Amino acid sequence: MLTLEGLVCGYGPFVAVHGLDLVVPPAGVVALVGANGAGKSSTIMAVAGHVQVLEGTIRLDGEDITRLPARERLRRGIALSPEGRKLFPDLTVAENLEIGGYIHPRARVARSRERVLSLFPRLGERLDQQAGSLSGGEQQMVAIGRALMAEPRLLMIDEVSLGLMPKVIDQIYAAIVGLRADGIAVLLVEQSTRRALAIADEVCVLESGRPVWRGTAAEARGNQTLIDAYLGLREEAPS
Amino acid sequence: MFLVELFVQGLIQGSVYALIAVGLTLVYGLLRILHVAHAGLFTLGGYAGVLVTNATGSVAVALVFAALSVGAVGMAVYRFCYEPILRRPPYVALIASIGLFIAMEELFRIVFGPFGLTYDIVPLQGSVVIGGMYLRSAELVTMALAAVLIGGLGLLAGRTRIGLAWRATVSVPEMAESFGIDIVKVRYLNFFIGSALAGVAGVMVSVLNNLVEPTMGSVASYKALAIIVLGGLGNVRGTLVAALTLGVIEAYGTIYLAGFLDRDAIAFAVLIVILMVRPQGLFGRSA
Ligand SMILES: Nc1ncnc2c1ncn2[C@@H]1O[C@H](COP(=O)(O)OP(=O)(O)OP(=O)(O)O)[C@@H](O)[C@H]1O
Ligand SMILES: [Mg+2]
Repeated sequence: MLTLEGLVCGYGPFVAVHGLDLVVPPAGVVALVGANGAGKSSTIMAVAGHVQVLEGTIRLDGEDITRLPARERLRRGIALSPEGRKLFPDLTVAENLEIGGYIHPRARVARSRERVLSLFPRLGERLDQQAGSLSGGEQQMVAIGRALMAEPRLLMIDEVSLGLMPKVIDQIYAAIVGLRADGIAVLLVEQSTRRALAIADEVCVLESGRPVWRGTAAEARGNQTLIDAYLGLREEAPS
Repeated sequence: MFLVELFVQGLIQGSVYALIAVGLTLVYGLLRILHVAHAGLFTLGGYAGVLVTNATGSVAVALVFAALSVGAVGMAVYRFCYEPILRRPPYVALIASIGLFIAMEELFRIVFGPFGLTYDIVPLQGSVVIGGMYLRSAELVTMALAAVLIGGLGLLAGRTRIGLAWRATVSVPEMAESFGIDIVKVRYLNFFIGSALAGVAGVMVSVLNNLVEPTMGSVASYKALAIIVLGGLGNVRGTLVAALTLGVIEAYGTIYLAGFLDRDAIAFAVLIVILMVRPQGLFGRSA
């Protein structure tokens, strides 16, 4: 579905990712992990069309989308729940979702809204509340729900569990598993390695903008050196 | 009774301020630009009012013409003055805007002469008695237009798809754009509506004073700035309240402060006092 070939991206003269190859298969879940500043968000934002690609290509089902503007990528089926969530804080939950489906006709929007609300029933009780006044977990649900309103084939989620309570994280991961069952591919950035390894089909470890390890989650779980070197340190804060 | 009359006079003046200031706060909310030249568009509306009314005999035609033409000029101001410098620091746009405002005033002077224009037959001069109070038709129309137009704007923003797109763009422009909203279209709409409201205000002020002159926008420009700061920059509801409040305070102030404070200084006295107590403005969110 999504293929990155030698992706180099950055900000003006600063290069954040130096040559990344990555494949996200249809209905597959791929996790990007790595320390702060490793280039995870930059990768995702380059795929979404928000960070400048300096070299390499991004393909979606074989089509080269490297130079397409962000909204064309959305039309082709790539939706994003970005770092920091970037909700419209003074708009209501319902309005945030509506913007997510802005490219689609009204009837379709109503249907995908039903689907999002069945995925996150909590949001159904909060439709008229301003998104900025929601709890962190609810905001994450709105961010993911808003992206789903675009009916993507590839959903990218940055910072899935950051700052959330384990119970809320469970709900969100349950939703992601459901999405995969529906045939949606997911590329996620996860600070909690344990969570990433538990759900992902494949894991890609970045360090200073370079991939240092790639493989299935099962391989990663069995690789003690890898866990000690890159994956051991970042666990959920107990709550 | 006298107090009530002053209050109503304040609301009339406040309606004019509101029509002008809403466009200014909309531009600020969307682009973070202090659109000083907005007051030049207000003056342009005044000229359109006098010229079209004198030519056609109908102030209604003049109002529609002023709204559409000033709205269109507003879009041109965005396209040719602001769009090329959007990525520059905000003071660049501010300087461009002040320059444009001065250029517009000079242009009015060159084209229409320095002494101002008056109506051949001043429209809306009837009066009505409401609750024992004499109100000129022009004053009633001013308040009614402000209420209807700004109310309509509220419905547009709150109830329609383009209104939602507009609010989303004001809220987080990059995200709005990435979800497929045409933010350039939103900007044109924003400038059209804000400028059309200023154009209508210009017509009504020219009718109320039976005069339009090149410098008509000077006082309006700084008062509107004070109002949008009080209203919490970019906050339309706050701007409305601030506009009406200022109108009322001025109305009382002209009588009770006449000895030591000029009417046009009241706006700034209020601004200074309120900003000392609430630096984020009356309705701004505290940072
Ligand atoms: N807007 C920007 N301008 C310049 N440099 C940036 C910008 N955003 C990120 N960077 C740099 O790019 C590098 C990669 O950052 P990125 O945000 O992709 O890391 P990350 O893996 O997502 O980290 P984190 O876990 O902290 O979110 C960092 O060195 C960062 O300083
Ligand atoms: Mg990041």
